[in-house]
Amino acid sequence: MPMRARRGRCCAVSEALVEVELYGLPRLYAGASRCSVAAGSLRAVLRAVQAALPGLGPAMIVDGAPTEHLLVALDGREMLVDLDAAIGDGAVLVLVSAQAGG
Amino acid sequence: MGVYGALLRVHCAGDRVEVARAPIEREVFRAFIGGVGLGAYLLWRYAPPGVDPLDPAAPVILTLSPLIGTPLTTTAKMALICKSPLTGRISDGLSSSRFALALARLGVDAVVITGRFDRLSRLHLDEALEGCRVEPCPALAGASPAEVAARVGAPNVAAIGLAGEMLVRYASLSNDGRHAGRGGIGAALGAKRIKAITVRGEASATLADPAAVIARARALAQRSSGVATDKYRRLGTAANLETFDRLKILPALNFQQVSIGGAAARRLSPEGMTAAAGHVRESCAGCTIGCDHRYGGVRVEYESLFALGPLCGLADPNQVIAAAAACDRLGLDTISAGGTLAFAMECAEKGLVAWPLRFGDDLVPWLEAIAGRVGVGDEMAEGTRRLAARIGGGSLRFACQVKGMELPGYDPRAMPAMALGMAVQCRGADHNRSGAYQVDLRPGVDRRRPALEATVAGVIAAEDQAALLDSLILCKFLRGAIPDPWGEGAELLNMVAGLGVDGDDLRAAAARIAALRRLYNEQEGWTAAEETLPARFFEEPLEDGAVVSRAELGAMIERYYAARGWSGEGAVGAEGLARVGLTRWLARDHGCALGT
Repeated sequence: MPMRARRGRCCAVSEALVEVELYGLPRLYAGASRCSVAAGSLRAVLRAVQAALPGLGPAMIVDGAPTEHLLVALDGREMLVDLDAAIGDGAVLVLVSAQAGG
Repeated sequence: MGVYGALLRVHCAGDRVEVARAPIEREVFRAFIGGVGLGAYLLWRYAPPGVDPLDPAAPVILTLSPLIGTPLTTTAKMALICKSPLTGRISDGLSSSRFALALARLGVDAVVITGRFDRLSRLHLDEALEGCRVEPCPALAGASPAEVAARVGAPNVAAIGLAGEMLVRYASLSNDGRHAGRGGIGAALGAKRIKAITVRGEASATLADPAAVIARARALAQRSSGVATDKYRRLGTAANLETFDRLKILPALNFQQVSIGGAAARRLSPEGMTAAAGHVRESCAGCTIGCDHRYGGVRVEYESLFALGPLCGLADPNQVIAAAAACDRLGLDTISAGGTLAFAMECAEKGLVAWPLRFGDDLVPWLEAIAGRVGVGDEMAEGTRRLAARIGGGSLRFACQVKGMELPGYDPRAMPAMALGMAVQCRGADHNRSGAYQVDLRPGVDRRRPALEATVAGVIAAEDQAALLDSLILCKFLRGAIPDPWGEGAELLNMVAGLGVDGDDLRAAAARIAALRRLYNEQEGWTAAEETLPARFFEEPLEDGAVVSRAELGAMIERYYAARGWSGEGAVGAEGLARVGLTRWLARDHGCALGT
């Protein structure tokens, strides 16, 4: 698995990283549009995101699980639910509001 | 407000107006609730089969919900129903705010308008029938709805713009800065030479349990202020554009692309538009959400933003805002206007027409030409399907419409549930009576690998939930704050109107409404061949290869019909009618007596 230097607000060491992009309400709550966190299970990744962007909790993320108000899309496509799913190095998680209507 | 059990028949007869009240049995509300459900029932009752949508005999129907006028949040709404001048099928739109509240003070649950005036006129409706009158208003010809409201000197005004007067098939009706546009209700009113409707009344129906209503109103207001509605309150639906761009479902360049790139999308985000034009937030009367975000003074929702922006190759927020303002001023449905122009742009770029029109051009002059039916605007005023028939050259394959209605802002190649929802909806390509996008954008869904049964079940559930909310008429933006809309909807109807219904009754009502809307379309010439998508979506894959499979869509449609209890060809049929308890309602003299 490729190793890279962390970018953005969570930088320091080289490790397997997941890129996280935020849109809509998650971005508004977080006050940031992206961050990088260590790869791992979805639960671990979301815990790391919440730690990096505390504005997301508890409305969007509780104990590493998305609330009903948050959708987590792997590479902008598959809406993830399995908290034990492995999110590998280089994956991009897109966090969007669950309310999609318009 | 509760239920009055009455409707107002209005007949426009040359230079005078004839009015009469007719009763509506309470059983009608148990069966069809109100709003679009009641509207479908009244359209079935009062529209002559096969009538031309612009014929004087074609009714324009305004319906209310039993919940209107109560302190329950987001209930200041009305429904507008007609045979669509655009599609020739059922059309039902919603509008909100003070005019709807004033309409409820007439002391009726619905208004059915037929006939035609000799001249462009203002129709005034009064609680006292002798106060109803017609006032010719030739001086208002060409005026915007906002100008009409300012000039008639009456407090509660709904009006059409130039587009409605000129019978543009996707003309809107406007009130209080809100617009009911899809399907061309404005043209239906323009055909009756009704420029404006004003209302006055002081009626008030008796609430079944006033204390319970007040307590629930407080609770609902509290729930409506939480995170479930925060997106609409703090960002508005315009926030969808950047999100959908990232998810690659944002239609651009007449559905040739699904992304305009992050930087361009950011310019059209709420933050981008605020930076470009400034921002204020407003709300409908009696609403605790407040989703009405205005940029440069213009209300810009996602659907207007996508249709007048990326769909037509525009990414400059000020150009899009100007186009949205023009649609409001002229009385045009923004989705159909943008969709028709985007189609015309592609035809021009492909050399199928010699019009000086390209993606990215300023839309305002073209919108004015459409509304005034000037030059080629006259052909564009007919909508995409008719325009494609006129242009020929194989253009129908990329005329992005279903049943004649232009597609909303979701690319069906990347959203299989939405593909089904748009194909089978009675109104045509539709995101409001379907809401199937909720199925594609929910946890556990991989849009590239849809599960057939779950997708079909989800589409039906979304349709039925929309039928419920649009009949109650509660704002859909409240849905996240109402975990059980069936049970709570029944509670609301019982405490407001004493209808004695439960959640199962409302589920049955939603299915009944879906069947009746389809039955109306069957009467008007619908065939299963209409339930498809434009060829573009089957034949032109997206960058990642996504395309709608004819076989897979066909399988979903087949399963949808079966799950609805309809025939293999999609007809409701005797069994389908019986299944939803509709048979007894089909006699045209059942439920409420005919008025004038």
